[in-house]
Amino acid sequence: MQTEVSGSQRTARVAALKGFGFGALVVGLIALVAFAVFRENFKPAAPAVEANASFVGGLSLHAHEATALSPEEEAYAAALWPIHSEVKLAAVRMIFAGLAYKTEDHDAKKLRAKVQPLTQTFEAAGKRVAVIKSPASLQEAHKSYVEAVKLYSSATREMIKVADDGRDEHLIQAQQRSEQASLAILKLSDVLWPGEYKPN
Amino acid sequence: MKSSVRNALIAVGLAAAATLAAPVAQAQSYSVWLVENSRFMNVPYGAFMPDRVFVPGSTSKMNNINTVDLPVNVGVIKGTINGKMEVILADAGWKQQDYLKMTGSDHYSAVVDQLKLLGISADQVTKIIVGHGHWDHAGSLSDFPNAVLYIQKAELEGIEWAINYPHPRISATNVSPGGCARTPACGYPPKTLDEIYGKVLSAKAVIVDGEMDVLPGIKIHPAHHAHTAGSQLIEVRTGTSVGTLVFGSDVYSSWQGIRDWMMANPQSSADTAQQFLAYEKCYKLTGGYNNCISGHEPTSYTADYPITKNSWVGANGARLAEITLAPGESSKKK
Repeated sequence: MQTEVSGSQRTARVAALKGFGFGALVVGLIALVAFAVFRENFKPAAPAVEANASFVGGLSLHAHEATALSPEEEAYAAALWPIHSEVKLAAVRMIFAGLAYKTEDHDAKKLRAKVQPLTQTFEAAGKRVAVIKSPASLQEAHKSYVEAVKLYSSATREMIKVADDGRDEHLIQAQQRSEQASLAILKLSDVLWPGEYKPN
Repeated sequence: MKSSVRNALIAVGLAAAATLAAPVAQAQSYSVWLVENSRFMNVPYGAFMPDRVFVPGSTSKMNNINTVDLPVNVGVIKGTINGKMEVILADAGWKQQDYLKMTGSDHYSAVVDQLKLLGISADQVTKIIVGHGHWDHAGSLSDFPNAVLYIQKAELEGIEWAINYPHPRISATNVSPGGCARTPACGYPPKTLDEIYGKVLSAKAVIVDGEMDVLPGIKIHPAHHAHTAGSQLIEVRTGTSVGTLVFGSDVYSSWQGIRDWMMANPQSSADTAQQFLAYEKCYKLTGGYNNCISGHEPTSYTADYPITKNSWVGANGARLAEITLAPGESSKKK
């Protein structure tokens, strides 16, 4: 159905619509301003961590701090350190013997030549560690260290078997023992030498 | 068939082929996040950046900060290549239980846990490109069983050279209790190297020799001796409005360092000239310093480091930043 509308009626209707639109705009703006004012005044407090969003200046107080060792523990740490240094170096050399075998030369004889002396290093280190007297507070850690050195030693013997049959399975087993030992010595390091590995 | 009709059909065929080929020709796009694995607290600024050494009473912005907290940043890059989802980590962070006290760390959140906040599980990670092999960058490889490790050949050779050097002051993995004296082999505990070796043994390692295109838009650039013997940069052409990003790991440990042309995180295996050449590489690849992503920038996740400012706080106060989203990827920001 169509409705006839005269020219003057159309003009009046357009004017009424314009007036309504303008009014709606004004009301909308007022509502927006009111909302903004409300939001600013009643905004919930930001969590503390966000308020401290710039961490420059060492403002956080929750860092893990090392606790001081007792004199007996200090003596134990000092006695273990030279052995620990040798053990770590031998462990890294063992890993690199395996890496070279897998990624460079595939020469089992070379592998054996590199790893065999490390067996002796670990065995000698194990004997030296065993005679260090550990304080009561570190007895479990000490046992764990002794076991770790044995694991390294066992890992070298497993690796050498590759020269006999060429099976990579020996390397995989050896790596698993090595990784277990590495984790154990690292856990003791965390207690005895808290600055051993710096952020780098 | 008339030649005009044949030509018209050929033209229509070519147009159809071009339309079908268009998605293939489109630039690959990637979503990129930066996640904080932990924070080293209260590190003397001068130890990290010699030019920013603290001078008591100084009013200079360069010398009036005593200590800084350094985040351990891990880049997360996600894209779909030929219908397959690829998740690439730029560095792999470390595991708290191994070095809890010795690093004076806080705000630890395992990389696997940070990834969960992005909707990514550990077994979805397909590649890990380590900027270098230090413990705080390659220390959680075994958490990602399916990921293939990318490490420079020169990195492994550099460690091997050092540990076999005849003088103990060079070969030592550490010189004295209580301090890593930054010998060339320092920073690579047996545990971390065991993890690298584990990847090699499980045929999940690529030993990179120089440059390598890893995926469309993702390329490795060598930066040897810019931090360690075999450091590398990761160029990511995101295909989004942010353009190209270059993950520097510790080649530029500090973004302020690359901005102000100051060396950071000195190592005995590094050569300052090589570090600056690597800075220049990022400038060339990205057109400036804003898109150079640093391994330990203290202002990460704040507006002071603009590319990381779209950030939020996850578990244990460890932060995350959404750098860019590929089309179709929804924001993970909480």
